[in-house]
Amino acid sequence: MKEKEQRTEDEDAQRVSLCKNGDVDAFEVLVKKHQKRMLNIAYRMIGSYEDACEVVQDAFVSAFKNMQNFEERARFSSWLYTIVINLSRNRLKQLEIKSYREDSSLNDPVFTDESQITVEPASDEPSVLERLEKRDVQKKVQGCINSLDNESREVVVLRDIQGFSYDEISDMLKIPEGTVKSRLFRARYTLRDCLKRVMGDI
Amino acid sequence: MECADTQKKLSAYIEGVISPEERMLVNEHLTSCQECSAFLADMRKTVEYVQKLEDIEPPPWLTQKVMENIKSEAKPKKGILQKLFYPLHIKLPIEAAAVFLIAVAVLYIFKTIQPEVKLTQIPLEEIKTQIPSKEKIPGFVETKPVPAQPAEKQLLAKKTEVTEKVAESPKAPLPVAKEDEARPSAGAVVKDESKTEVLSRAPRAKALAERKEEIFSLTINVKDIKTAIKEIEKVLIQLNGQIIKSESFENKEVITAKLDSKKLKELIDKLKLIGEVKEKDLEGLEGDIETRIEILKTSIQLQ
Repeated sequence: MKEKEQRTEDEDAQRVSLCKNGDVDAFEVLVKKHQKRMLNIAYRMIGSYEDACEVVQDAFVSAFKNMQNFEERARFSSWLYTIVINLSRNRLKQLEIKSYREDSSLNDPVFTDESQITVEPASDEPSVLERLEKRDVQKKVQGCINSLDNESREVVVLRDIQGFSYDEISDMLKIPEGTVKSRLFRARYTLRDCLKRVMGDI
Repeated sequence: MECADTQKKLSAYIEGVISPEERMLVNEHLTSCQECSAFLADMRKTVEYVQKLEDIEPPPWLTQKVMENIKSEAKPKKGILQKLFYPLHIKLPIEAAAVFLIAVAVLYIFKTIQPEVKLTQIPLEEIKTQIPSKEKIPGFVETKPVPAQPAEKQLLAKKTEVTEKVAESPKAPLPVAKEDEARPSAGAVVKDESKTEVLSRAPRAKALAERKEEIFSLTINVKDIKTAIKEIEKVLIQLNGQIIKSESFENKEVITAKLDSKKLKELIDKLKLIGEVKEKDLEGLEGDIETRIEILKTSIQLQ
């Protein structure tokens, strides 16, 4: 696993060099490679598919513009995801100004706009009922995640959803590892309470 | 370990980021505590739910859209619209131009009102210099009855005019102008109208006269100055002369008039009828001459 990671990192570094020299096609490769993860981070943080798509676009454009500032010693993916995290935060603030979030954000219209969302099909073909149930559960879970405060949400998304290491998260959020952990643990307690409320017995 | 403590540690416990000693304590507690065991199960489930959230797929158009945005960023911004709306290219130049225009306008306005500013100051200055000079010259008495107020104002207004003209014609000497102003009495001896006329013409006449630098002086001895003045003035008018001014001194009167040099002979002849005239040389005089007639009272002397 680590080897694979290292390889992708090196590939990234190569393409970054090309981009710095104005190679737009090299950047396209990077876009294709990272867009899914970026979208998922944005989506899970913001809770809105449409906004998440916009944020991802902005993030890539921002990365391209600031390519010259990127130090090649650093990890490109971390740098890129930091951008999308920051933009997601901003977007979230804008949305919050528009409509305040309540604890019971499950009634939030945001969660009904899932017509556009395509979900990765599970490897085994579940029945329709199961699929619907699953969808229902996922909605609720996302709802609970949205009800978290921004800081807690960030660590939950990055750690439990995206599976980044504590080190990587610390890098992206610019906070010490200890803080990452404490935030995460606190967040989980809150989530547990929320899920119990929403789903009954979990 | 108490329940509260245990539950706090459970997250770390799950993650495996707990010290061996603490792990042992938690384990110990869990074996005996139903509540905390259930809590642990909850915590594990929570993490599971979150981890099981499915990834969403990016829309198919996303890559293309991103690249379009990138390419428009990469292009040099030569589009007219972009050029127009790019703040630094359009906003700052406009602002700079506006500031410049304002500065120009202000300077222009300032320059336009400058002459007026200067001119309105001159009379004040000259009057100020007047007053002390009047006091200094002994015997410089102003002969006149107090002229009517409006006349005075009129004269003062004319004075300003005169000063303006004086200021404009650089050759007109200041002393001349000063003398003019020292005589607000102008209206006394001669009618106001003609005087004001004279006053306005005077500087120019004086300018002319001064340019030629010719003053013809005459002295006439008379028995009665007052009568003589009237007579002399009549004569001057007859001869189409212009009386410029009339000055009063302790023992004499001086009438300054502009007269055609051709009439000088006649003048002298007529003056002889009024009093005793001391002859002066008439040769070499041309054009309008400023004639200065001194009227002296004959001292009663037995010769």
